[in-house]
Amino acid sequence: MSYTLKGRLQSRLATALLPFAAACVLAGVLQAWWPLALVGLMVAVGLALEGGLLHRLLPYQPGWVALPLGVVELLATMGLARALSVDAPVRLALAFFVGSWVVSQVVLHAGLPLLHLSYAEDGGELGRAGLVVAAVAPTALALVVGVAWTTQPPTVHLAAGFHRGPIVLDRAQTLEGEPGSVVRGGIRVLADDVTVRGVTVLGGEYGIDVDGAENVVLEDVTVSGAELDGIHVRRSTVTIRDCSIDDLRSPYAQGIDISFGFDLGPSSVRRCTVRGGLEGIATHFVHVELEDNRISSTQGRGIAMTEMSMGEIEGNEVIGGLGVGIFCGDYSHCRIDDNTVRRTRPDMASGDLTRLGYAIQAHYGATATLGANSVFESPGGVGAVLGARLERE
Amino acid sequence: MTSCAIVGGGLAGFTVHATLRHGGLATGEIAVFGDNPDPAAVWQRRAASIRQREMRSESDGHCYPTSFPGLAAREALRRRTPGPVLRSVCDRYRPSVDEFLAHVERLREHSGWDESFHRARIERIRAVPGGFELEGHGVFRHVLVAPGHPGLARPFELADDPRAVHAYEPHPYAARVAVVGAGMAAATEWRNALETGSTVASVRRREPERRPLNLPRPLFTRRGLAGFHATPPAERVEMLTRLSKPSYPPGQSWDEPLERARREGRFAVAGAPSDADQIICATGFRRGFGHDRLLARLVNEHGVDTAGRWIVLAPDSTVPALTDERRTLALAGAPAQWAFPAADTLVGMKFAAHAFLRRVSRCPTR
Repeated sequence: MSYTLKGRLQSRLATALLPFAAACVLAGVLQAWWPLALVGLMVAVGLALEGGLLHRLLPYQPGWVALPLGVVELLATMGLARALSVDAPVRLALAFFVGSWVVSQVVLHAGLPLLHLSYAEDGGELGRAGLVVAAVAPTALALVVGVAWTTQPPTVHLAAGFHRGPIVLDRAQTLEGEPGSVVRGGIRVLADDVTVRGVTVLGGEYGIDVDGAENVVLEDVTVSGAELDGIHVRRSTVTIRDCSIDDLRSPYAQGIDISFGFDLGPSSVRRCTVRGGLEGIATHFVHVELEDNRISSTQGRGIAMTEMSMGEIEGNEVIGGLGVGIFCGDYSHCRIDDNTVRRTRPDMASGDLTRLGYAIQAHYGATATLGANSVFESPGGVGAVLGARLERE
Repeated sequence: MTSCAIVGGGLAGFTVHATLRHGGLATGEIAVFGDNPDPAAVWQRRAASIRQREMRSESDGHCYPTSFPGLAAREALRRRTPGPVLRSVCDRYRPSVDEFLAHVERLREHSGWDESFHRARIERIRAVPGGFELEGHGVFRHVLVAPGHPGLARPFELADDPRAVHAYEPHPYAARVAVVGAGMAAATEWRNALETGSTVASVRRREPERRPLNLPRPLFTRRGLAGFHATPPAERVEMLTRLSKPSYPPGQSWDEPLERARREGRFAVAGAPSDADQIICATGFRRGFGHDRLLARLVNEHGVDTAGRWIVLAPDSTVPALTDERRTLALAGAPAQWAFPAADTLVGMKFAAHAFLRRVSRCPTR
């Protein structure tokens, strides 16, 4: 068909109505915003293509062009979704896109010509209905953005200076510390959808304690002088990035301990620095990704993924640990790649033969899949003990 | 009360009738005046004369009021194969003439055409307060005139040549055939005559254009029509003249038989049909309202605006001087080119039909 510019835009908006309705339902069912964000991106990409490119390039658009255009739109939409950090599961998002595209084509080639008698000769313009569509689209967009805005967790700004803890966060919110803001006595996170950003924590039993909470983000936090673990996570899902932990007081404290959340979603720790502690990062019975962290001077193990955990240990640097650098234990499945382990010292005092300065160790039924790791000055090297297996990629 | 009249019982009138019925008018509210109750009769005779097997139009080339489902979708459903739809998506679907005629027959039955049809030839339309008087048949508020082409065009120098026959009249093929013209009918005749073993001379004044449809595709929608409607009358006359030059579709199915015959010495372009046994005039139709008695009389008696050989129409195919909120006089088919350059195609007929229905529906006293 030879579309007019108005026809292209009106048709595009009209064909987006059903996918938009489906996205509303899906968002309600999944309790997630991504379907609406995705449909918004689809419409934005479509309108930009129609108005900016296709109208000039295609005075006449044969039906088959819809297929390659659909692929272009898919790539652009998914690329934008990734760039804008739209948290959509890839397979579901693809299925939603393809389903929406099929529905749009049916509406475009069958529905609109049936509803609007002169649709073809009007070049895709919809007459009065087009005006309604043009009014409904921005209204729907404003409604969605409004609802999204009003249901966003509130942001609490923590002023520079010392604040007495422990601070208990028991509802969804963002706690944002201004430069120089310090909490003495720890932070407890007890609710889903909490973000803690830019805060320094001094002391406390745990520096930051996350308990029974999902979708928690700890970003740019510094923990120092905690009596037990620096960050202690139980039955939760967390994303921890750009953190710093040191000066742990107890000889049994861990820098970061994430445990007992295998039935929940995956957690991750990225770009954190941990100095000291029995174990730098310890995980028990969770699905987790540990990437690009720097662990030093630990007394037990640098990184320990154990008790039937599953995940990736990638791009980390483990330096000067006692006994074991990277540990995959107790029927866990670990993919260990691109890590650097230096100066792991044998723990002779323990009398434990499994702690003789192993850079990487699989232990007790665990399976460690090894990529290209770099090991220096660690006399135990890489090994498996007590029925554990090492596999090479 | 009968509020609408359609003058002309051919495919254009038929399309308008189907559209009005789709718009909610009862058969009793529409009167169709024509010579033959079969709306496809005239067209079928011409198609049979040139042994046409496929339509030049694509899936949208039908008389149904909505563009979907077109002939491709219906054929796909009937034959339970996606082939026609896939070909349509690639602009490669051309319904067969039989397919088209069967669809006309189905729609004729479904739309109640025969209940609205009156066998009568209207010789005069007279504007009267509140409508138009069709001589001897009463007054109607809304009248659409679709008289069809005003006869076949023959080169005057061949008027008395006993060898000459028009392509749209039944004819066999002689051993040496000259085909005058370069449009779709001429191309079809080249192929037909070659298939029967004749030697063919193509007599033409200009090289034909090659395009899938009669006109460039944007001119079938508002995209191209907006500019066309904004063109001043003198330029529009020039544009319509240019657009009416002969053309036929590109493609191997046209080129390959001609190329083969050329190699065999059985096809050539000639300046004159001098030594041919038979001269087929594929020269189309007479052009202009002046050749149609009804339209010429309408123009003369009501001072209707004209430009060149065209009646000046509003973009919705109505005659501006004789149309207002309470009455409509519209044209469809070949005489409606001032509003829609491809008015003599099925899509063009639908364009006029849709506009007419809008007028009728909006009329407060329908």
